[in-house]
Amino acid sequence: MQKNKDDLFRFVEYSAEAAERTGYSDYSYWKSVFQNFLKKKSAVVMSCIFFGLVIFSFIALAIGKYDYAELLADSALAFETPNGEFWFGTDNLGRDYWCQVWYAAQTSIKLALIVALGECFVGVTIGCLWGYVRQLDRFFTEVYNIINNIPTIIYMTLIALLIGQSFTVMAISLICFGWLPMARNVRNLVLMYRDREYNLASRCLGTPVWRVLVKNILPYLVSIIILRLALSIPSTIALESTLSYLGLGLGIDTPSLGVLLRNARNYFLDYPYLLIFPAVIVSLITVTFYLVGNAFSDAADPRNHV
Amino acid sequence: MVKYTIKRLLQTLVTVLIVATIVFLLMRMLPTDYFFTEEQLMKLTPEQKQEQLQAAGLTDPIGEQLVRFYGQVLRLDFGESRRIQSGVDVVKVIGSKFTVSMRLGCTALVISLIVGVFIGIIQTINKDKILDHIGTGYTIFVNAVPSLVSYSLVLVFGSTVLGLPSLYSTRNPGPSSILPVVCLSLASIAHYALWTRRYMVDELNKDYIKLARVKGMSFKNIMTKHVFKNAFVPLVQYIPTSFLYTIGGSLLVERFFSVPGMGPLLNDAIIRYDVNVVQTLAIIYASLGTIGVFIGDVLMMLIDPRIKLAGKGETR
Repeated sequence: MQKNKDDLFRFVEYSAEAAERTGYSDYSYWKSVFQNFLKKKSAVVMSCIFFGLVIFSFIALAIGKYDYAELLADSALAFETPNGEFWFGTDNLGRDYWCQVWYAAQTSIKLALIVALGECFVGVTIGCLWGYVRQLDRFFTEVYNIINNIPTIIYMTLIALLIGQSFTVMAISLICFGWLPMARNVRNLVLMYRDREYNLASRCLGTPVWRVLVKNILPYLVSIIILRLALSIPSTIALESTLSYLGLGLGIDTPSLGVLLRNARNYFLDYPYLLIFPAVIVSLITVTFYLVGNAFSDAADPRNHV
Repeated sequence: MVKYTIKRLLQTLVTVLIVATIVFLLMRMLPTDYFFTEEQLMKLTPEQKQEQLQAAGLTDPIGEQLVRFYGQVLRLDFGESRRIQSGVDVVKVIGSKFTVSMRLGCTALVISLIVGVFIGIIQTINKDKILDHIGTGYTIFVNAVPSLVSYSLVLVFGSTVLGLPSLYSTRNPGPSSILPVVCLSLASIAHYALWTRRYMVDELNKDYIKLARVKGMSFKNIMTKHVFKNAFVPLVQYIPTSFLYTIGGSLLVERFFSVPGMGPLLNDAIIRYDVNVVQTLAIIYASLGTIGVFIGDVLMMLIDPRIKLAGKGETR
């Protein structure tokens, strides 16, 4: 009897490779995200256009016949319609419009990216605290209500008067007042997930709070965070142009979309190209981000993964 | 319900008071140089400046000023404007402006509600067909492109192609308010269309609609009797807020078309150190925001009796 059993079963040698194979899953979160994203042809095309635009803005500045830093006002050349010398024509002071437009596009993209990342960081951090720590809920709700109920224009005007206008000031102040929607969104979701059974189990097993937040809760929020991040870029560009138009944004010497349109406001009825060029470029940027953001957040939702 | 209303109103009051205090303190942070016009700054001696500041009560300790401010607010005395229209009651200054803003805003609101909901319905009926895609394209465009750019496009199109006046004038308010109203409606049309479509499509996918179809109800009847009614409930919530915000006017549109409305007033008042105007405006805006949300909640409850608010303090 004993002998028979030994014949039938014998021990296998330990093999790391075989052990690996049983525990192996082909699933990787970010790989699936990109696979899902690449399936959407329109989004892929749009993101190619966006990167093309960014790269081209550098090329455009390099191949332009005028350098932004060396622009001179020359009223004799004012309102030249686009031609071989001035590719986008000239503005009311006779300065080359080509380099102004591309420079402005770069400024806008740079500002929007910095602000979006800053908002995302601050918003997610505060949103997690707000949602997870019960004792802080009242405090953050009050802070949210107060900041949200004072018109942004008061802050922006005061900041412009007290501190001054520059790229850094602008970026920081936009982040300071822009984290609110992100934080609120994250907070509501964290509230939903924090008391699910698996989190209760984690807490009972003594998992540290940060690990519960990062490993158990944040993955559910990734798609929402990405969506907000992507949508905040068009809205930052819009806000910046509004503020600059009102004279509260970037200084007059930093060309941005708002500054260009403010300068052109009195003239673009007669010289529509002053409006068309910046408008088309900025619309391309913002629409692209809007669409790509939506597509990417769909792809980032683990519930959509196969 | 009564208890809930009182509680919400008290909360509103506290929020408004805190906002007023913060704005008051923020305004005191401005250097007093802004108190004077540029001409005064150059001509007046430091002693004269000090005298004027003292007369205006700006050199007193902050606490004392704050107590005085609370007293004024409780008596609903908002003081006089200093530089916007000097010597005129703040209430009057704001009153003359807000009628202009409100007229434009309400027209835009009515237009955008009708047009927006209509577009939403059309999109739902033609779901995934060409009309739906055009509508979606419009919403994406309006949401993504900076409003300054879309306003400029409206302005160029309206004034060169249609020959409409490009600036608002009080002598000719009819035609000259067409472009501002169009600009004001652009975004909210997209907003209402988007949400109408989304809620109606959600509603169409529900089981009871399938049942209605199976029992032979016509598509038109299903749309009017079930889908639209149910989809309109969540939309109602936004209406009071949008209505109240029309009082505030739109800063960008009014600046862009030189409309003498409420929008640019706040900005002007801060730059000219017209403290009373700024404080009054801040109180108005804060009350509008909070009261709007509250009325929206109540309205939703009245329309859909299943929704109950009294359970928890925050509902959204």
